[in-house]
Amino acid sequence: MSNFLLGSMFQSLMGPVESESLWGALELLLKGMGGILLVMLLIFFVIVILNKAFSRQKKEQDSEEK
Amino acid sequence: MSDFSFLLKGVQGITPQILVMWVIGGLLIFLAIKKDMEPALLLPMGFGAILVNIPFSGVLNSDMANGIIEWLFNVGIHAAEAMPLLLFVGVGAMIDFGPLLSNPKMLLFGGAAQLGIFITVILAVLLGFPLKDAMSIGVIGAADGPTSILVSQQLKSTYMGAIAVAAYSYMALVPIIQPITIKMVTTKKERLIRMPYNPKQVSRTTRILFPIIVTLISGLIAPDSVALVGFLMFGNLLRECGKLESLSQTAQGPLANLVTIFLGITIAFQMRADLFVNWGTLIVMVLGLFAFILDTVGGVLFAKLINLFLPKEKKINPMVGGAGISAFPMSARVVQKMAVKEDPENFVLMHAVGANVAGQIGSVVAGGIILSLASSLL
Repeated sequence: MSNFLLGSMFQSLMGPVESESLWGALELLLKGMGGILLVMLLIFFVIVILNKAFSRQKKEQDSEEK
Repeated sequence: MSDFSFLLKGVQGITPQILVMWVIGGLLIFLAIKKDMEPALLLPMGFGAILVNIPFSGVLNSDMANGIIEWLFNVGIHAAEAMPLLLFVGVGAMIDFGPLLSNPKMLLFGGAAQLGIFITVILAVLLGFPLKDAMSIGVIGAADGPTSILVSQQLKSTYMGAIAVAAYSYMALVPIIQPITIKMVTTKKERLIRMPYNPKQVSRTTRILFPIIVTLISGLIAPDSVALVGFLMFGNLLRECGKLESLSQTAQGPLANLVTIFLGITIAFQMRADLFVNWGTLIVMVLGLFAFILDTVGGVLFAKLINLFLPKEKKINPMVGGAGISAFPMSARVVQKMAVKEDPENFVLMHAVGANVAGQIGSVVAGGIILSLASSLL
């Protein structure tokens, strides 16, 4: 049982499956997807703000020109 | 009588593994020319695979001299990943982020469609690959050649050649892989969902600020992504600033073409028989396919999840989620073709393009985040 949580868990096609590697992969999944979605959300809000700020400016410029 | 045995040196050096590599090189060339599969990369890679697998090849270092392909690899990839990054300048200059800027919610699909990368890492670990190789293999799912090459090089993966071949081959196979995958995880009713397109106006100032701000955000959260995201966005800024048309055209044309010519043949340095011909390479190719499939599934399932919370008239066609992979613009066209096949009047192209360019951002951010996390995990 202790081998399952630490060290080599079982032998697979390409070699032994290390529990450290598996926990690392799971940690990568959580942090990786979390990080990506965080970055995408931040960029989303930035785009929304930029669109609001500069489209209003554009409309004011267009109406002044008219 | 002189000894002519030196003329047989090359022939005597041929091994079965070398013959296998000649066949693989020939196959890549065939796929590039006859099947039109990513010819810009597969042809140089195929020819390079033959060059580096000629016994005592002069393109590799020897006691007498430095070899050109080994030199190109050391300088263009090993030293600072220059070739993939320079190619990204060209890619950034080619991308129009307008459909994304006018419809920013597509960004979420660009993120969700990177799920396949991380699930493939887990699968690779379960197959016994060391974590650094598993992470490199997972990045095939980024559906982005330069990102795959850069990450596998920085992580010093032993499967870099196989990863590059897999990434570019599957990118070319998107028109085959994606329709089958999307049909497996969607119903006909879902594929018939129509999405009206009412784009917001996007000002020039927004287009100019976008690449700068994306670089800052990505860089602050994942500093290792600055090279990838930064060079991509630099190319985009050249395009959008409106003052450097000749530089933008140079980046899109001569620069991208020059780097592409040398990148493919340089990657072949990792396709030497002793590195490439093993069971690991075959498994990498299979895992790469899984990564692509799981990416598509991730994007589609995310769209279906979002739909649970949306009213009927605002539902998203889940196929658009599948376009969130980085294979631009092929994936968007595939989704549009599928939509029109189900309903000739269903035009989801601009939504799909938005998701597709978001996938380009998502994939480089994914690559950067993997590199950022690698230092603590390895």
